[in-house]
Amino acid sequence: MSLAPGGYAVPFVAALKSARISIVTALPDSLLKEAYGLLATDPDIRYLPVTNEGEMPGIVAGAYLGGKRAVMVMENSGLRQLCEPLARFSQVHHVPLVMIMTFRGDFGEPYYWGHTHAQSMEPLLQALRIPYRVVTDTAELEAMVMKSWVHAETSQWPVALVLSGDCVEERPYATT
Amino acid sequence: MQRHEALEVLSGLTNEDDLFVSSIGGLKDDWWNLRPGQSDNTFSHGALGSHSSTGLGLAIALPHRRIVVLETDGSILMNTGVMCTLGNERPPNLTVIVIDNEMYESVGRLPTHTSGNTDLARMAEGAGCINCTTVTTLDRFEVEVARLLDDGELGFLVAKIEPGVKQWPVQDRKPTDGVEDKYRFIRYVEQLEGIVIHPGTPSK
Repeated sequence: MSLAPGGYAVPFVAALKSARISIVTALPDSLLKEAYGLLATDPDIRYLPVTNEGEMPGIVAGAYLGGKRAVMVMENSGLRQLCEPLARFSQVHHVPLVMIMTFRGDFGEPYYWGHTHAQSMEPLLQALRIPYRVVTDTAELEAMVMKSWVHAETSQWPVALVLSGDCVEERPYATT
Repeated sequence: MQRHEALEVLSGLTNEDDLFVSSIGGLKDDWWNLRPGQSDNTFSHGALGSHSSTGLGLAIALPHRRIVVLETDGSILMNTGVMCTLGNERPPNLTVIVIDNEMYESVGRLPTHTSGNTDLARMAEGAGCINCTTVTTLDRFEVEVARLLDDGELGFLVAKIEPGVKQWPVQDRKPTDGVEDKYRFIRYVEQLEGIVIHPGTPSK
């Protein structure tokens, strides 16, 4: 499936709303850049940008404890920032947390600085015992966001959804 | 001003309809004994740097309810960026109280930066927070907390306290762990708000 530039943004926001996510906290990144503008102006979404990813587990947990469905959105590099609040908060207290992250450094990554993001992402998710799935097709977003929420809520544990392929900005050198 | 004296005043100014996020250390057992109504209205957690973030999420989820964060100097110094997020969001129902003893007391009274040149209230103000004040006496603490709780605006109060940990009898120390704390808080909010947060089997 090939989308127009930025075409991932509308299905992404629609998938969040379909799962009744009403609060989104984020540190904007280039791979989802078209989505952040939509989130910031959507009347059904309370959008909270933060200064670094370590703020987000607390915000999501607070929203959950207040009865609202919240998610955090970031680049996968943010995982390195939030290891401590994840382990010390979400996991010590068993608080559900849906982390949506872009897959910087996925196969074909054109920027040298992006590769370490991928090299550390999966080992960290495994070390933190966080279930995760990679989604590349926007047609799967709705079901995968809902499954992420259900999995996190019933396990009372963090879950990660990693976006790549058609679900993010096209890389400059991608040919398919 | 001792910590337990300040918390006793706070307890007298709040009630069981208010929700609290609390840090740990010496605060834990003090607030366990002093919280209004001895109800499960406090989520106490030890993730230093995440207390104000938790309060922010709670305040946005429940905008009609008074939310109080019991921060410490050691905790908020680990995540000063949250002041910028608070300052940009300015949730009107949130009051952040930093219990500032200027030291990491429970690990041997080693000084924090607030014992030196760091002024948290001025930092918060520069970050965009409003109603940022530092108090050093119990009388001023009472006046400022009473004002901040009901002014319909974000509040950020730094309460300079004397060192010292009140020794509660063993049977009065907080006996619960982090998972029990979470469930008790969830069930309390469910009852308070008339909502379901954790149904066991989720609805779609």
